[in-house]
Order: sequence, then C-alpha cells, then structure tokens
Amino acid sequence: MSDFKQGNAMKKMVSAIATMALLSLAAHAQEQGREEGYLNVQTVVHKEEVFVNDAGETETRLVGAETVVPGARVVYTITFRNVGADPADSVVITNPIDDSLTYVDGSAFGPGMDIQFSVDGGVVFAPADDLTVTQDGVERPAVAADFTHVRWVMQGELAVGAQGMARFAAVLD
Amino acid sequence: METSLRFRDIRSTNSRQAMPAARIRLAAGRAGSSWELDLKNKTEFRLKKARGHFSTWCMTGLIVMVSQFAWAVGTPVGTVIENTATVDFVLSGTPTTQVSNTTSITVVERIDVVATLQSPQVLVAPNDIDRALLFTVTNTGNGTETFQLAIDSAIAGDDFDPIPSATAIYFDTDGSGDFSAGDVAYVPGTNDPVLAADASVDVLLLNDIPGAVVNGNIGRSQLTATSATGSGVPGTEFTGQGDGGVDAIVGLSGGQDADTGEYLVSDISVNIIKTLVVADPFGGTQPIPGATITYTITVEVTGTGTATASVINDPIPTFSTYAPGSITLNAASLSDAIDADAGEFDTSGAPTVVVRLGDLTQADGIQTIEFQVTID
Repeated sequence: MSDFKQGNAMKKMVSAIATMALLSLAAHAQEQGREEGYLNVQTVVHKEEVFVNDAGETETRLVGAETVVPGARVVYTITFRNVGADPADSVVITNPIDDSLTYVDGSAFGPGMDIQFSVDGGVVFAPADDLTVTQDGVERPAVAADFTHVRWVMQGELAVGAQGMARFAAVLD
Repeated sequence: METSLRFRDIRSTNSRQAMPAARIRLAAGRAGSSWELDLKNKTEFRLKKARGHFSTWCMTGLIVMVSQFAWAVGTPVGTVIENTATVDFVLSGTPTTQVSNTTSITVVERIDVVATLQSPQVLVAPNDIDRALLFTVTNTGNGTETFQLAIDSAIAGDDFDPIPSATAIYFDTDGSGDFSAGDVAYVPGTNDPVLAADASVDVLLLNDIPGAVVNGNIGRSQLTATSATGSGVPGTEFTGQGDGGVDAIVGLSGGQDADTGEYLVSDISVNIIKTLVVADPFGGTQPIPGATITYTITVEVTGTGTATASVINDPIPTFSTYAPGSITLNAASLSDAIDADAGEFDTSGAPTVVVRLGDLTQADGIQTIEFQVTID
C-alpha cells in the first residue's frame, strides 16, 4: 500500500520515468496481494451444546467442536474480508458438505448473498427449489439430505476493507 | 399322512431340535403362544399346550424389526471430518480462487442402546415353568459397547408377578427365538454382550408362573440393558473411555433401555382329530389300489382365547391321488381352485389340501374338514 502511494508520488515528481516505476510497483503490489490474499477467508466449526442457564431454562449455545458424536449438530461459519486494494466482484463461496454430514434444511445463511446448492458433487449449482434428484429412475425434488455442496453468491461487489459471513448447519450421521 | 395346522402369527420353524415331519402350530389369544406336535403316522391326538419348551416364532417379524433398527449407521468413532471453503471472485477482470483454512473435527463415541420386545403376548397356565419372552438388544451407538442385562418381573400395574427362573436371562444362542437346549445362560460380569455399532443380540427372559392365577390375568417382565461404560443424562461424558481411548458421550437413550413383555393366563387348547375310512372297489375296507380313503379332520378350540388365522395344511400322501372336488368344510363344498373360498387343493408344491379356518374360539364349536384320495 505504501509502495503504491510512493509510486503515485513519484509519478507526480518525475513524469519521465513515472510510467515504468508505476508499472513495476503496481506489479509488486499485486504480487504481495496474492501472497497475502486479496480476501482473507477463515472457517470455524462449532457444535451446538444444550445447557441449563442460571434461570434453570434449557438453552442451546455454540461451542468449539474438536470432537462430535453422531446426531450432533455442527455449524460452519465462513468469514471473509477484502484485504486487497481493489473491490472484488462476483464473490462466490463454495463449501462441500462432508459425506458424514447431512445439511440442515434452511440453515444456510449469508447477508446479501443468494444461496445455492449442488446435488452432483459440485458440478451444477441452483437454488434448492430448482434441484431434482433421479432415484430408481424417478425424478423427484431434491431434499436437504441430497445436498453435496452449499454455495453463497454475493449480490454486489465486496469493497476494499468490507467483510461478510456465510454459515450453515449440518447433523453428523 | 402328515397334517399341519398353522397359525399366521407363527412364521418360523427353525429349532435346534430335530424338525418333526409335520407340525401343528397354534397361536392363540390376542397375539399368541404356541404348540407343536408331530402328526406323522398318527390318526388321533390331542394338542396340548407345551410346557417347559417352546416352539419358535415370528422370524419374519424379527427380521423386519431388525432392519428397522439398522437405521443410520452412525459415523464410526475416529472419523475425521475436514472442511475447507473455497472463494471465487473477480478482481479487476481476473478470476481468482482462494481457499480458507481447514477445520477438523473428530467423531467420538456415542453410547446408545435399544431393547425391544419381540415376543407377542405369551399364553401361560398356572405353575408353568421357564416361560420365555424374547427381546433384542441393539447397540445404536457408533462404537463397540458392552452391555449389562437385568430382569425385573415385579412390574406395577399387572395382575400377578411372574417368578424369574433361577437363571432368568439367556442368550437365544441358536437363534430359535425360544428357550432351547443350545441357549447360553447370561452370567453378569462374565459374558456381558459386547456389541459393535448397530449389532444386536437376542435375549430371553425366563419366568415361572405362580399357581394362584386365573384366566385373563396378565403378568409382566422387563429386560433392561445398560452400557458398561456408563449411563446417565444424555451428554454425560466419559473421558477417554470410548473406542480407541476417545471420549464416550451418553446419547439420547441415556445409555440404558428397557422393554416389557407380557404373560396372559389362558387355558385355551386345540383338539385336532384326524380319522380315515377306506372303501375298496369290492365293497370292503381294504387299502388296496383303487380304494378310496376319506379323511376327516376335526378341530375344536376349548378354553379362553382365540386361535388366530388358523390354517390346516394336509399334504396328499405318496402313492395316492387326491379326488378332485372332494374338500368340504362343515359339510359345505370348497372348490379346488385357489380363490376366495376357505380352501383349495394346492399343487404349487407338494400336492396339499389347504383349509383356512380363520380365528377360532370355543364358541365356534367343532370344525370338520373332509376330503378323499384314491390309492394308486
């Protein structure tokens, strides 16, 4: 970033060599951006834990999930932030749903994003209602258990410094 | 001549003992107890309730039940589930792909068990001994578990307390569905069943019936299976005690389950009498080629209860030929065809006369079946 600003300054001061300098510095900045990632993407996984609060009521909370048992509900949260110098367009986040997990119907969530699913291992993505599965020669609407991937498609651009999150829940078979 | 009377509640015939040439099977009462008898070379007999040993039942039903519990093979202990998100985006016209960090979770053991009664209501008489109730214990967790078994016959709300036999819990080792010679006694702490995930074991509870009971009395007995690792409130954790030293966590069953079976005191019995009359072509009664044999089978239910879905099967003996159109039930003719009426001459396998008597009670009185064969 500072290199970039310096490059701009140099452009004003020494116009004759500015073009070359700018190009080389811009290329350097882009290289650095690639190394660091223009988007910083993090995934965390939690599991739901039922506990009794101080008022004696049963509540559910998310706790870190290093270990899980069958039947447990786990929640994956993906956070992303544009740490680059330019806005990112057409941001699409794709997350596979492990064979041991069954997607929880309606759990996918992402502000400002359209949610799509795949039932064929991530080849075709479409809104849940548009997907079908052929079972024993009969075509039927896809259900949550059919989903192999979930995808979030951002509606607008992700501005520099902006961040977003995507989340879904699944049950361990 | 072999005759069998069977009742639809009883569907399995495997038994450790030598298979009789023919059997009578009877389910009576609301669901059924059972009797069996070898009819070969007999023309008259009285069918009595067996005591101390029992025929088998409901193998078909059992398979259905087992498959019902073969649901959702839990993800095996130790499975590691990794997750990585991928982000595609366009930066200044250049498509770019980036991946997130990878999260990892490890599947640990969930302790769950289901105990399920398999026997229908068992019909008993006062002072019966070693009457068996069949249960299935299924490990519905995702790891290998050891289970402890217990019997309780002092269940509130019934009419009498069955008396647990001196050794009251057996494994149905021979898979007969009933208490028989090959079954192994359960000794707590010594041969507690060890079940892999989704595996099951058939368990018999044996009770004696008190003398002071009357028709219609019901007595209950309960089997409880408890995880040896531990039981308790769902979510209870047993650190490091799961398969391979992972944590074991009690599932929704609490690591323990119980089911209760029922004995019904009933004095129902079925009398079946089979007689034959030979008429030779010369006006005599010699069983010679060309002679006609008229068989008469009478079935009578006495006592309390219902013999459900009863069917008479009578294979035509070798060296004789069924006389077409000769079947009658209570003097009414039944067609040979397999159709809506109560009987037929079934040639799909060994030629057999089949008559369906339906549900019989004492009020139905004597049922009389007749048919004829000729000696070849």
